[in-house]
Amino acid sequence: MIAIDRRLTKNFDWLTFAIIIALALIGISTIYSATRPPAGVGEHSDFYLKQILWLTISIAALFVVVFFDYRWFYKFAYPLYGIGLMLLTIVLFAGRTSLGARRWLNIGPLSFQPSEFFRMMFIIAFSAYLVNRGEELKGRLPASAIFVFALFPMILVIKQPDLGTAILLSALFVSLSLAKGISRRIMTAILVIGLVSIPFFGNIAWDGLKDYQKNRLIAFIDPEVDPAGIGYHIAQSKISIGSGGLTGKGYLKGTQGPLRFLPEKHTDFIFAVFAEEWGFSGSIFLVGIYLTLFLRGIDTAMKAKDEYGRLLATGVTSMFFVYFTVNIGMTLGMTPVVGVPLPFMSYGGTSLLSNFIAAGILISVRTRRFELFYP
Amino acid sequence: MKKRAIILGVLVTIGYIAVAARLSQIMLVEHDLFTAKAKGQQIKKEAVPVKRGMILDRAGRELAVNLDTESVFANPSEIPSPERVADSLSKGIKKNPDVILAKLSADKKFNWIERKLDTEDTNRIKEIVKDSKLEGVGFFPEMKRFYPRGKLASHVIGYVDIDNNGLEGIEMSYHKHLTTRGENLKVVRDARGNVLSEGQRKEIKGNNIVLTVDEVLQHIMERNIDEVVSKYSAAAAVGIMMDPKTGEILAMTSRPTYDPNNPADVKAGQRRNRGITDCYEPGSTFKVIVGTAALEEKVVNPNSKFDCSAGSIEVGGGRIKDAHKHGVLTFKEVIQKSSNVGTIQIALKLGRQRVYDYIKRFGFGEKSGIDLVGEVSGAVKKPARWSGMTIGAISIGQEVAVTPLQVLRAYAAIANGGYLVKPHLVSQVVSPEGEQIYKAAIKAERILSDENVETFRNILKTVTEEGGTATTAAVDGNLVAGKTGTAQLIDPRTKRYSKDRFISSFVGFVPADKPKLAMIVVVYEPRGAIYGGVVAGPVFKKIAGESLSHLSVLRDDAKEKRLVISN
Repeated sequence: MIAIDRRLTKNFDWLTFAIIIALALIGISTIYSATRPPAGVGEHSDFYLKQILWLTISIAALFVVVFFDYRWFYKFAYPLYGIGLMLLTIVLFAGRTSLGARRWLNIGPLSFQPSEFFRMMFIIAFSAYLVNRGEELKGRLPASAIFVFALFPMILVIKQPDLGTAILLSALFVSLSLAKGISRRIMTAILVIGLVSIPFFGNIAWDGLKDYQKNRLIAFIDPEVDPAGIGYHIAQSKISIGSGGLTGKGYLKGTQGPLRFLPEKHTDFIFAVFAEEWGFSGSIFLVGIYLTLFLRGIDTAMKAKDEYGRLLATGVTSMFFVYFTVNIGMTLGMTPVVGVPLPFMSYGGTSLLSNFIAAGILISVRTRRFELFYP
Repeated sequence: MKKRAIILGVLVTIGYIAVAARLSQIMLVEHDLFTAKAKGQQIKKEAVPVKRGMILDRAGRELAVNLDTESVFANPSEIPSPERVADSLSKGIKKNPDVILAKLSADKKFNWIERKLDTEDTNRIKEIVKDSKLEGVGFFPEMKRFYPRGKLASHVIGYVDIDNNGLEGIEMSYHKHLTTRGENLKVVRDARGNVLSEGQRKEIKGNNIVLTVDEVLQHIMERNIDEVVSKYSAAAAVGIMMDPKTGEILAMTSRPTYDPNNPADVKAGQRRNRGITDCYEPGSTFKVIVGTAALEEKVVNPNSKFDCSAGSIEVGGGRIKDAHKHGVLTFKEVIQKSSNVGTIQIALKLGRQRVYDYIKRFGFGEKSGIDLVGEVSGAVKKPARWSGMTIGAISIGQEVAVTPLQVLRAYAAIANGGYLVKPHLVSQVVSPEGEQIYKAAIKAERILSDENVETFRNILKTVTEEGGTATTAAVDGNLVAGKTGTAQLIDPRTKRYSKDRFISSFVGFVPADKPKLAMIVVVYEPRGAIYGGVVAGPVFKKIAGESLSHLSVLRDDAKEKRLVISN
């Protein structure tokens, strides 16, 4: 039974909600600025209008998720996960290829990226698994679990290839395992083995990478090699941010985006556009909003009423944090270019919707922390 | 559980601090560096196509203007199938498709296909580009230099290359003025190289050049020069008209000629302004030097007597003859009858050094400084290098190389009372807004005293009163003072004076007492007649007559025709 009672409205997590709405609005205004025509001539592309539409849909979806008790996810966790794996398999064979990666599925007039939703299904299902097996695990994970929740989905995602989602899934796997209390020693061993194996499998992995991925790695190591070539993204992003200075050039005064020097200006590199216009002060403030979101998420996990809620909150917060870190790291030239959107701000309907659903789960967990548990 | 959450919170906060540190590094520490990089790639200095200034005659008539044209270019890197594009374009551009294809296939991002097409051609090609949906082909507006009077004054005006760089004449010597506002403009460009601030560009115009040349006088001169060249099948001709008091060139022409709109159609020699680039031996016209020098140095007076009855004179082992035998002649008569024997006797009285000094004083052997490129200085040997015969030869205009302009300038000095003026073609430079930027200053240096000039001018005036040989140069109503010259050319094969190749010239000024204009006409290798009085004299007469009536110069009060000619 869907419980819409007074406690729900009274305990609603307004802070998280306000943060993501603020981020989405900042995102839309930045998209508007990034995609405006240069020198005021020409048509303004309608990305910002589409994003407003998607925001409306996403807010509706968020409330549906909040009013749902998150424990419903627990019930349908495995079937959902199965569907997710199926979609990932299908996309490998029937997906649409764009920019060298096969990530898109077309269903009638709609097209979406299954991996955008799979990450939520993964959190829901892996959390359910960890709760289910409870004390049986005794600080260990069976090989079957490692295969189903780590190896198999990772292979499917890398095959697309979708490096961003692969990084996210491994991070989620580790953080959820840690939250459950899987032995730190085992997790450390997995990490160390992984790191040590890089040189051994490095060559095989290198050959397996697409050219654009190799270029990104080279560009990360030395962005100045060829600013107009492979290091172009990073170089242009740093120029945009650096030229912002302390106070920025002012809203709608940024030049790098409209003059088309900055690639992916309204999607992956939206932070660079923001930083150019709002400067160091604005950027610190924006990153501060994200920090508040993460700390609130950790707090939510800590205060969750049950273990499933705690794991869900941990997973969702980890997801936001990983995406934010990978995106900002790339934008600031701290990590290699991995095509990951900035949560809530980057243009893209699927991404916005799935992040709002994830935030809905987070809010749901916090909102229901005082509810009594009826098994 | 709480402990673990706190650890997580601390980790997240450390991440925040790391991001903040990186932000301050890029945005605060390296801000200037990145700002410079941003400007460097967004702001491009672009040479602005300048609307070249006009060249006007002294009355403001347009001699060189600009036409709006368009040029077609291609970005070969954007053309997937050059064959198709070349095939389509060849329907609109009068060029071999293979030539177009080569331009489209070049490994460049920018290549001109055809430049400076008129509106009709441009529209036709634009239609083809639109209909066939050709990619990588663009149009660029350009100014094309146009000379509305065609060949008129072509040697003065000069011409430009396809990029509007002046290559000859005023176009070259005043190129900087004509394009003076052509600074680099800073324009904003996007990553694809598109210039985005075009809307704010305003037309940039160069300064206008106002010549001293009078288009009407120029036309009069060219028409008559053309006539004499065709009448005597001459190899070449030069005409220069000057205001003797100021040095302003009123007309200047050279034959053969060319159309500056199509300078490449002719051989380079046809574009030569022979009045300043070619030397010749001036012959009798050069006797003015020894004549004036003798008066200045007081070695003679107008009535000093010279025995010319021998008909020839021996100098340094050589013998120089007179055309006709004369008797005993006064100084006046020596000049009047153009006696070689008499002139050489006077020169011997002066001696080498003084003859040389006066040659130099009249500006020979040095550039006149006219505001054109390509002027030569001529050649005057130093006395130390003279042979025994040189003093004789040089005083009658041989063994010396001069330009027609130098000779004209020497006669202008007689006309204006003894001043050597600096000839010039530009009277002023005016900005597009009408502001005067430069005005020619009159430079005149006194080289002869008033009275001696007066005396010599009177000699030039009166010499032909009794049966002059060149009445052909007389101008109806105005007295002409002048001198003919007939010089033999050196035969390039024999290295001796040719018997059938001559240069006929006439130099003088009119009206003789109040000279309004000085002029020289030189005809190279005329056929059928050789003497200056026959070939060049009549041309001088016609040009001077028509010019004086154009200038509305009053007739002298004397009714009879008088002229001062000798040969």
